Amino acid sequence: MKFSDLLRLSINNLKRRKLRTFLTVLGVIIGTASIVVMVSLGIGQAELQTESIESYTSLTTIDVWQGGMFGDGSSEEQKYITDEVLESFERIPHVTGTSPQLRVNVIAKQGVYEANLQLLGVSPAFLEEINVGEGKLPLDPKKLEFLYGNSVIRDFMNAKTGEGYYTTYEDPDVDLMGKPVFIIFDTSAYYQSHAPQSAEQAGAESGQPKVKPPKKYIVPTAGLVKGTPDDWGQYSYSTYCNVDALKAQLKSIYRKEPIPGQPTDKKGKPLDYFVYDNASVYVDDMENVKSVQDTIAAMGYQANSNMDWVEQNQKTMQIQQAILGGIGAVSLLVAAIGIANTMMMSIYERTKEIGVMKVLGCDMGNIRDMFLIESGCIGLMGGTAGIAISYGVSFVINKLYLRNQMMSGYVMPGSDSMGSISRIPLWLVIMALIFAVAIGMLAGFFPSRRAMKLSPLSAIRNE
Amino acid sequence: MNVNAENEKRPVIKVRNLYKIYRVGANKVYALNGVSFDIFKGEFVAIVGTSGSGKSTLLNMLAGLEPPTKGEISIGKKRIDKMNERQLVVFRRDNVGFIFQSYNLLNTMNGLENVAMPLMFKGVSRSVREKKAAKYLELMGVSDQARHMPNQMSGGQQQRIGIARAMVVDPKIIFADEPTGNLDSKTTMDVLGLMQKVVREQGKTLVMVTHDNTIADYADKRIRIVDGKIISIEYGERGREIEGAETEKEELEISLGLSEGTEA
Repeated sequence: MKFSDLLRLSINNLKRRKLRTFLTVLGVIIGTASIVVMVSLGIGQAELQTESIESYTSLTTIDVWQGGMFGDGSSEEQKYITDEVLESFERIPHVTGTSPQLRVNVIAKQGVYEANLQLLGVSPAFLEEINVGEGKLPLDPKKLEFLYGNSVIRDFMNAKTGEGYYTTYEDPDVDLMGKPVFIIFDTSAYYQSHAPQSAEQAGAESGQPKVKPPKKYIVPTAGLVKGTPDDWGQYSYSTYCNVDALKAQLKSIYRKEPIPGQPTDKKGKPLDYFVYDNASVYVDDMENVKSVQDTIAAMGYQANSNMDWVEQNQKTMQIQQAILGGIGAVSLLVAAIGIANTMMMSIYERTKEIGVMKVLGCDMGNIRDMFLIESGCIGLMGGTAGIAISYGVSFVINKLYLRNQMMSGYVMPGSDSMGSISRIPLWLVIMALIFAVAIGMLAGFFPSRRAMKLSPLSAIRNE
Repeated sequence: MNVNAENEKRPVIKVRNLYKIYRVGANKVYALNGVSFDIFKGEFVAIVGTSGSGKSTLLNMLAGLEPPTKGEISIGKKRIDKMNERQLVVFRRDNVGFIFQSYNLLNTMNGLENVAMPLMFKGVSRSVREKKAAKYLELMGVSDQARHMPNQMSGGQQQRIGIARAMVVDPKIIFADEPTGNLDSKTTMDVLGLMQKVVREQGKTLVMVTHDNTIADYADKRIRIVDGKIISIEYGERGREIEGAETEKEELEISLGLSEGTEA
């Protein structure tokens, strides 16, 4: 028997009892819709969380710290992070770039305002990750320029009154972009040279020789990190510059003297290379972060990434998704029982007809297939309509969720950071459809076998 | 039968010592109690008996719908008592047409589709099978019912469709179970006439079960069955022609058993 004929027979049979078919399909619709909506909520929630993590930190960055720190003076060699080490990181598959982080504390001055800044010398790869609000990135390795975090301005204090944002809650009158900023790199010399003047306040002894005040440098401002001082982000509180430019600057300031913060050899002489406190390693995709991280850890460094946290999070979310899907699956199970019941009814009703077909030479397998197709069709129809309804329900849920978020002030109207709580990816649609058809056919399996085994004699028997 | 052994005519249906025994509680009920006969090509055979005589059981077994308890049924050269259910389905599809008392047309299909149905089971494409079905509808004089659904037709029309359906696969044998049982007398005559026509013009072998002697008179050969045993085989004029010189008489020696009761 041709498949097209089987299909036509099955569909005709479904049409014959329209109301019953509809009611059975309705069960599948509700079952499918509840699974899809439940799972879409789980997915939405997990993705929202990942997105919110992504919005303030990068998920493809691994932070590396020097290893061997805890080896308490044992024979284990100190695992410094140097340019050489970074080059070896770059050779790890999936690594797209690295950046050292050379940390220096400097003092910035503008007018009466003064601030202690944490200056980070980083590579262009690191800088590229930062969203610039104003100006540009300090990418030029030959020229020292600063990129200020959007909240750095609040670090400036009035040097005369000692008041700043954290006492007055007013943003200081500092214009990082417009007016020149003076930078003092040799902070210890600065404090020492200031010590006599502030001796009354600090109550310090002033027996030391007077230190010449260190040189002030005007460092041009390349730009500001995007955001207002109120916005909190990964890059809000530090000041960034090109690491090569910073190294050149430090060398020219300290010459043969050891640079503060850098290790020295056994004789107390500075090393001829820079050692970084930590470094960032960039990976091409979230999927590969874990393996790269493991490789770096195996090389003897401490490696951390936000993926550790995200993965933990995802595991929790998966459990939640499974529970939600399970709740939906219960209603599909009920629908499956409905299908089985409908098919059984249909077989009782059509006993004679099945018998006639068998007498007239219809293969037993064809009869089974006919019923399987019928129940599969119920699954397909229910699945399709169920998915359509899920889209509607999902839309409504998202609208309500958004309104709720807006009312509680999490999301500004028209903000691009608003997310949907219910998300239906394509794979969910396909899976749901396959699942609905499979459930239908499974429910029709035993009834169809029963139909296949019916005696053809029932057709001959005269009532 | 003695003469037929050498005859070039081989029986289409050969039945030997057929038994069908049902167990009802501790009792054995002999629905068929040792039946033997032959049916030849082109014969219109009536199996006649009262209700409960075993005539329907016999037909079911000839059609392979019910396995015999014991005995031998050959159709052509094939032993259908040795076939399993799958083989029987194929066998029926290729060799057997069926006419039912209650017509048994499928209500979801129109007249044409009902006739074409057995061809559908064989996997014949729709255009081919409907063309063929239309031909048989015309032969049965119900072309006008092709697009009607069964519930829009009279009993006689339905049975004509039923006959067309039985013939559409061009079977060697057509079985008919009380084909006129649900019809009025005029329609009965029409339908029987049609069946005769099928046998004579199309050269089919037709085996009909009936309880009605007047209907059985249309047949070329009548096998009378009582309590699971054949009591007589009678031949009409055409029946004698087919079976040859052997049968001047209307009753076989088996029928002698009738008056004596349980021998044979």
